[in-house]
Amino acid sequence: MFLNPRPTSISNFSGSLTGELFDMLKVKVLEDAEDRVSLQLDGVDRSYANAVRRFCLSEVPSMAIDDVVILENSSVLYDEILAHRLGMLPLKTDLERYILPEKCDCGTPLGCQKCRVLLVLDASAHEKTRTVYSGDLVSEDREISPISASIPVVKLAPGQTVKLEAYARLGRGKEHAKWQPATVSVLLDGKSEDSFVLKVESSGVLRPKEIVTKAVEILEEKLKEMQKEVSAKVE
Amino acid sequence: MSKQIRQLDSWVVLQDLLEKEGVARQHLNSYNEFYSRGLQSIVDEMGEVEVETVSTPYKVKFGKIEVGRPRVIEIDGSVSNVFPVETRLRNLSYAAPIYLDMTIEEEGLQREATRQHVGDLPVMVKSELCQLSKLAKEQLISAGEDPNDPGGYFIINGSERVIVGLEDLSPNKILVDLEKTGGVFSYKARVYSSVVGYRSKLEATLKQDGGINIKVPSCPIDLPFVIVMRALGIKSDKEIANSVSPKPEIQDLLEVSFDKASEAPTEKDALVYIGNRVAHGMLEEFRIKRAQSMLDWGFLPHLGKTDEKRYDKAMFLGEAIAKLMELRLGWIQPDDKDHYGNKVIKFAGQMLADLFRTAFRNLVRDMKYQLERTGQKRGGNVVGAAIRTGIITDKLNNAIATGNWGRGKVGVTQLLDRTNYLSTLSHLRRVQSPLSRSQPNFEARDLHATHFGRICPCETPEGVNCGLVKNLALSAIISVSVPAAEVEERLWELGAKSIRDVPDKLALDGTRIFMDGRFIGFVDDGERLAKAFRKLRREGQINPSASVMHYPPLNKRGYSRLYVSLSAGRVMRPLIVVEGGKPLLTQEMITKVASAELSWRDLVERGVVELIDANEEENSLVSMSAEEITSRHTHLELYPGAMFGISASVIPYPEHNQSPRNTYESAMAKQSLGFSSPTFPLSTFVRQHLLVTPQSALVRTKSTDLLKIAERPLGTNAVVAVLSFEGYNIEDAIIMNKSSVDRGFARSFFYRLYEAEAKQYLGGMRDTFEVPSPDSNIRGYRGEKFYRLLEADGVVMHEAQVQGGDVMVGRTSPPRFMEEYKEFEIKGPYRRDTSVAVRPTESGVVDAVFMTESVEGGKMFKVRVRDMRIPEIGDKFASRHGQKGVIGLVVPQEDMPYTEDGVVPDVIINPHAFPSRMTVGQFIESIAGKAASLRGTPADGTGFVGETVEDLGKIMKERGFEPTGREIMYDGKTGKKFAVDIFIGVVYYQKLHHMVVDKIHARARGQVQMLTKQPTEGRARGGGLRFGEMERDCLIAYGASMVLKDRLLDEADKAEVYVCEKCGLIAYYDAKQRRYACKVDGDSAKISTVVVAYAFKLLLQEMMSLNIAPRLRLRDKV
Ligand SMILES: [Zn+2]
Repeated sequence: MFLNPRPTSISNFSGSLTGELFDMLKVKVLEDAEDRVSLQLDGVDRSYANAVRRFCLSEVPSMAIDDVVILENSSVLYDEILAHRLGMLPLKTDLERYILPEKCDCGTPLGCQKCRVLLVLDASAHEKTRTVYSGDLVSEDREISPISASIPVVKLAPGQTVKLEAYARLGRGKEHAKWQPATVSVLLDGKSEDSFVLKVESSGVLRPKEIVTKAVEILEEKLKEMQKEVSAKVE
Repeated sequence: MSKQIRQLDSWVVLQDLLEKEGVARQHLNSYNEFYSRGLQSIVDEMGEVEVETVSTPYKVKFGKIEVGRPRVIEIDGSVSNVFPVETRLRNLSYAAPIYLDMTIEEEGLQREATRQHVGDLPVMVKSELCQLSKLAKEQLISAGEDPNDPGGYFIINGSERVIVGLEDLSPNKILVDLEKTGGVFSYKARVYSSVVGYRSKLEATLKQDGGINIKVPSCPIDLPFVIVMRALGIKSDKEIANSVSPKPEIQDLLEVSFDKASEAPTEKDALVYIGNRVAHGMLEEFRIKRAQSMLDWGFLPHLGKTDEKRYDKAMFLGEAIAKLMELRLGWIQPDDKDHYGNKVIKFAGQMLADLFRTAFRNLVRDMKYQLERTGQKRGGNVVGAAIRTGIITDKLNNAIATGNWGRGKVGVTQLLDRTNYLSTLSHLRRVQSPLSRSQPNFEARDLHATHFGRICPCETPEGVNCGLVKNLALSAIISVSVPAAEVEERLWELGAKSIRDVPDKLALDGTRIFMDGRFIGFVDDGERLAKAFRKLRREGQINPSASVMHYPPLNKRGYSRLYVSLSAGRVMRPLIVVEGGKPLLTQEMITKVASAELSWRDLVERGVVELIDANEEENSLVSMSAEEITSRHTHLELYPGAMFGISASVIPYPEHNQSPRNTYESAMAKQSLGFSSPTFPLSTFVRQHLLVTPQSALVRTKSTDLLKIAERPLGTNAVVAVLSFEGYNIEDAIIMNKSSVDRGFARSFFYRLYEAEAKQYLGGMRDTFEVPSPDSNIRGYRGEKFYRLLEADGVVMHEAQVQGGDVMVGRTSPPRFMEEYKEFEIKGPYRRDTSVAVRPTESGVVDAVFMTESVEGGKMFKVRVRDMRIPEIGDKFASRHGQKGVIGLVVPQEDMPYTEDGVVPDVIINPHAFPSRMTVGQFIESIAGKAASLRGTPADGTGFVGETVEDLGKIMKERGFEPTGREIMYDGKTGKKFAVDIFIGVVYYQKLHHMVVDKIHARARGQVQMLTKQPTEGRARGGGLRFGEMERDCLIAYGASMVLKDRLLDEADKAEVYVCEKCGLIAYYDAKQRRYACKVDGDSAKISTVVVAYAFKLLLQEMMSLNIAPRLRLRDKV
């Protein structure tokens, strides 16, 4: 039997996506690990499932360094390359305490306690060549720091110094890949027509489950907003 | 079988060769020979200069010539040694002083010995003269040099110049040919007789009537063969005939020649005969003298220029005629001009020797003039004062800097290609043919069988230079010249008989022996002699560069000939000697070479490996593999991959590609961005690129190690899916993953260098570096905002963001002409703004500012601007299989297709790229790259011996992948599974230096040319886009005449001219009298305004300047 999980009309859509609108919706956890989650989704249309998959990559916010104030850089890496490398560092993200800068009411370019985290790097090499690692960054918020302390950032020759302030912010993967919380996000065909397997692997910035639930949440918000717009226009 | 060598292993011999000798060895060897021996011999040729003064003439004798260390003389006279880094930075020439010992000799008595500086010799980087050749790797690094730099180029005024190898026909060889001109066959024998610095072509033609004519450049009219022989002093007809050949068949053919020579039966008659033609109408005595000097100087000069050599010349000419007759009789075949045995390549040393010879001659001539003018004063100081060192220094410097070698030879040197490491190496191994590129020369452009192992079969440009510009194969070794005397001695010991006293029997059926274009004698069994010669060479008693070829005739009545070649510039290749069906190279030797206990030189000395030139290879049977050796084989290939040149040897699986694809890739690899040199922080190239995260290829070839390409990579490994993508990758476009781009895929920097020097002018005025101020009377002041980035010293801030037009070095100069002062007496002298600004279409960040001093003592700034280039739509990429394409769309990762494992490709290439191009190598590379990723070690894709698809498939299968490289994939936009499996793997991609930001261009309104008033051309001048003839044709065909008029007239060079209706000539407006006037008709003129193209008006006026009166006939429109 072919199930149409779509609401009959947009105006009567009000509840949550995981509610009574999907007659046969069943979610089964196939794998739930530290870095990955695998869910079997039954009774859901491919477009919804795929939207969730895509949102895991493009819409779920995560923390990444976005602005770097370079005070000193005598390394061989140019400022822009150094900044790019810092941006690519995955940072542990707390979506409860931080909000997207565009949603913050502080209105300052550098942000406030709610919308940015300051990380400081001050490293020099003296006698020997030194590799600066992600662990050398000191964060003002202990919870928000690189997921691993051993990611190489730059190598310094004796006498070279790197001194900088890095501002991390929440952002979305659709803007830049550094804000993608998921490294893998796939939707595979399941055993039957409307059965799928959603596999999400996290880069470590968020727990994989969190990525999926957040993706669903954002989808829901977006549809709600759409509903508001449409009904406002139709009436 | 375990004892038998495997081809895969014997490549270590080649590796050792390349490591020890370097990629640029042919340049370095040639140069080293030039400075250590060539210079002295050129000086010895001149020997002395005679100073003819009125009272007591004297001589200055030249002695030993020596070259010092590279150095620079500053403006204040201080001298210091320089390294190449400094010369590049300061725009200096890397040159060393040449010192010549001279003794003054008066009336046979030696007076005074002196050592004089005669000029500067440009030093080839890494030659024996170069300081770098003595430094170890660590020392090179601390000297600021790339330890992997091959050297082999010069630095003139700070720019690196290569003298490209020049291919030439072997000198002094008799080549016979059968030519068809207008339906008739003519037989010709040609010799390019060459001595140092001089070449004379001899041509012998067998005419239709059976006569033989000799043509030499110094004689305006062809000479009959027999008369030439008589003039050379061969008295009897019998001797003349025998010097050609004692064989009756040949002698019969000579009968006509003797009949034709009846008018000059004696030597004197013959000389007069020639004299009549070279010095017509002179005294007989003088005519004879001229004939003799023609024979001594202009006729086969390579055999000598004295009268004793006439016999040798006669014998040589006899041999040329013998070959001609044998060709006529069908005993031998025409010689093949394109056979690589008939070619030599001239490198830097020989080219410089030519130049130095003329420069030194000029110096000596000038010296003589100066000394004779000085008159009575003499002595070391006077001689020293008479030497103008600039004659040699400037001649050499200018020639290398411009590539202008004199006598019409241009383009001899080129700017060293530093696009990437590979392009540098390839450039140093390039060979140019002197043949005209405007003529077809089809055969000369073809690949020849003798190119194998010498010239790369793939690497050649497309277009006009196709096949004329070549590249040396990895295994090519250029011969060095071998002293002739000792080799000749060996030949006599081996039973050769001199031509001066040869027994009749031997002259009739013996083998003729030639040594470097000299006919020296006979031997009874040529093949035996060749074998014995080779045996001695393998025993180390003859130089390995010497080669011998035995050339048996097609017909057994013909002569067999033996050629010994000792000249420099022959292309040889190393081969493993096979004796009795067994290769002499053993596995133990290979192991020892690998562990550096043995070198390839040792193997050559032991006769295990032999250097074979293209001629000697004609006597060899070379087996491609150890398994195929039979008792008839003489040699075994060292390594099949060595047949490729630098560029082609990095192509993985080239044997699976259609051959032109390898050629395309050979050209494209040289345009790809990479890590060209670790010295880039100090590099001052005008334009340079740097790939930020270059990777060594996952699928490598042996030459990756051989050429150290992994240390200087030029691309990135990319996950590539073969798929169409909504039409955005049709016509060779590629789709790129936006996330990959965000993460830094193929990100590069472009550097542009701006230079500014403060020059000093006559009258003590000089340029000054400053921030031009608006109120100090400066012409050409650009406006304050353009100078905003300058610091107090007039130079831009480090790391400043600059846009097109921003001034980076503020500079003002004095007025160009002194007179101009007068105009500005009130305001005072003005200065001109000659600041250096960023190019209008470019922008970036100030990367480095170098402050230094030029050799003229002027302060000099070099400012390098860097610009980050993130891949965008329109940027060009290519795989290593001639598959190039531009980015058609950058796609967000969530829209990209994905595999079940969540792999999202970096690049999507259209399947239509493959069927017609047949680049199967890319498929195999893709599979190999994927297998290598799974296995965790690079894959070997070397041509002919790479890992097989079967083996790679096994690796994939073990790890749960399809051995075919195909996978289930889903469409990222819909989440739907594709109906078919998708081929996805890892392919090495190169970012090519054609980027869209450098090309993007549009114009609405803008500049026009001064002369024609038409829009300017080209992006740099903000030019318009050409609406050409073909576009015009389209509009005509369409009938869109208003559009046509709009494009070609209204929006181009519309102009109004006044025409006198009476005379039809152009009239003008007289502003003073406020009326229109015609010069011809005066008051009776009726003048009308006509709209024409300005270019047409120009044409009318140009015609009028040629005394043509173009008249326009006007009529009313209605
Ligand atoms: Zn805020």
